[in-house]
Amino acid sequence: MTTVLQLSNVSKIYAGVPALDRVTLSVPGNSYVSLLGPSGSGKTTLLRVIAGFEEPDRGSVTLDGKRIDGTPAHRRGIGFVFQTFALFPHLSVARNVAFGLENRETGPSLDAAAIRRKVAEMIDLVGLKGLEDRGVTQISGGQRQRVALARTLVTEPRLVLLDEPLGALDANLRTRMRGELRAIRERLGVTFLHVTGSETEALAMGDTVIVLDRGHVGQIDGPDALYNRPASPAVARFLNCYNLFEGRLGDGAFVSPVGALPLPPRAEPLGGGPAYAVRYDRVEVRPPNAPVAPDEVGITGAFVASEYTGSSVLSFFQLPDGRVFEVEDHLSHRAPPVYAPQETYGLVWKRDAALVFA
Amino acid sequence: MTTTTATEGMPAAAARQRALRRTALWLLAPGVLWMVLFLVLPILMMVYVSFWTQTTFTIEPTLTVKSWVTFFTSETYLSSLWTTVRIWLTVLVATLLVGYPTALFVGLFVRNKTLQTVLLVLCVIPFWTSFLIRVLAWRPMLGKEGAINLILQGLGIIDTPIEALLFSELSVVIGMTQIYCVFMVGPIAFMLGRIDPNVIEAARDLGAGFGRIFRTIILPLSMPGVVVGAIFVSVMVLGEFATSAALSGRKVNLLGNIIVTQVGSLKWAFAAVVGVVLTVIMGAVVAALLRVVDLRKEL
Repeated sequence: MTTVLQLSNVSKIYAGVPALDRVTLSVPGNSYVSLLGPSGSGKTTLLRVIAGFEEPDRGSVTLDGKRIDGTPAHRRGIGFVFQTFALFPHLSVARNVAFGLENRETGPSLDAAAIRRKVAEMIDLVGLKGLEDRGVTQISGGQRQRVALARTLVTEPRLVLLDEPLGALDANLRTRMRGELRAIRERLGVTFLHVTGSETEALAMGDTVIVLDRGHVGQIDGPDALYNRPASPAVARFLNCYNLFEGRLGDGAFVSPVGALPLPPRAEPLGGGPAYAVRYDRVEVRPPNAPVAPDEVGITGAFVASEYTGSSVLSFFQLPDGRVFEVEDHLSHRAPPVYAPQETYGLVWKRDAALVFA
Repeated sequence: MTTTTATEGMPAAAARQRALRRTALWLLAPGVLWMVLFLVLPILMMVYVSFWTQTTFTIEPTLTVKSWVTFFTSETYLSSLWTTVRIWLTVLVATLLVGYPTALFVGLFVRNKTLQTVLLVLCVIPFWTSFLIRVLAWRPMLGKEGAINLILQGLGIIDTPIEALLFSELSVVIGMTQIYCVFMVGPIAFMLGRIDPNVIEAARDLGAGFGRIFRTIILPLSMPGVVVGAIFVSVMVLGEFATSAALSGRKVNLLGNIIVTQVGSLKWAFAAVVGVVLTVIMGAVVAALLRVVDLRKEL
């Protein structure tokens, strides 16, 4: 696959605090890439540097093999979809969409008829037909989202940056727009770089997921690889599906505040630790005195509360050192578990289900 | 609980509606009373008096159009009407030319809210001295031996002082522009400050350069500010008399100056005619400006 965007050692410092720290990554062409990071991880800064609203202090940004850092934003040919949509409030839907074609400084200049045709096509593609003459304050949030997208896509950018594009929509609409965004991208064959703070959104949308952790790249991987083998404890924490223990790597076991946890057999420890991680849904809850098999790891915890989500139940246990340990039970094969509050249970998982970070 | 209890046989919603209406009435009453007593009645009185009969020392309520005929047939008064309109338009354009870039800087390029406030307060600082001092301070600046002439002569740019600087229409325009400029800057800076910075970045991202963005986004979005500023400046300049009295050496006679002179010589009927003319012009100007943008929609 060809590389559309390449960042090499990009750093950006605000008032002495590095917002981006030697970020190196490449974005393949014709793909959907999600960029996951908690707030403050520098993901918005990264997008603004790529778009040209900020210049990097160090490093280079390359688009299609040409360096673009130093080029003003309006000559970069990169599309940007804002979280707040940033529509032109005094223009109609059609005029918003036509703005780029009518006012851009570079790129082919089109006559009025060609612009009208392209705008009509794009409005049709994003499903806004019939709303062309509405003011952008007279349409719903989801429709505004589509205008923002259409306005950017009609200029045919090589790369579209989406800054938490679904953040301003309600949950129902968000799920529907996920599918539509992917479908629209596939039809146009452009590359989307979608920034989000939601791990489910990042995993669901991206062909590739980039995790940004305090200004540097934590991991770049496919969603499945990322979910099952996070490269560091920090990445595992963002995924919001791992119980993490700090401690140190001992002889054949990981020494944690809740005791020695036997290491998984024949597994290379991952980086960024030391830490020991086990996924919520890999843990089995048993009576406190039930035996633990040799290929298993067992600890005990007191049941606190549980959360019912429909397809699964998330149960919270308090471990002897006070931390909360989460267990997820999928309900497709079994009835919801019933645990007694404040009762102690055994929490058991397979040794090779755990991840160890050195 | 007497006011909130539903009256016998009246649903609670209707009772609440009535209570709300009563509250609204009480809140409106002082303002309405004030405006009727001190604005509407005096204006009606002014129109009425303009048709009274004026003799040299007395005025009597016998209706006549004599004062009106005098105004519209006299060269002096018509030329003063024309001067007023000309100076108003010049000052309006001048305050816009000086004020808009200032407002653009304060409202759009300064993104720090505190600094924005500080800069706007700086614009208002001249108002901490009295109006008359601000006007009279232009004399030592513009006079024949004033600061500007001395500097220009010192630099060797001119040999003889420029006399047209003071006691001319130019000095009146300069003085008024300085005094009223801030009323243009304020509303425009306010509107520009409300533009979402992302909107301008979005326009840049779509490929537009600054000139295009200014014309297609910034200017249209700041128009309500321009209109409000223009209304402020227009109403104040049209009613002006002090600046022209102090800086024109009696060469520039605005309608306001004529009213002052006529009232001074007890010509009430004639002063009332000029007053009505001025009020009609102001009303027309404000109405025309309000047609440019729908302020109710924008603010």
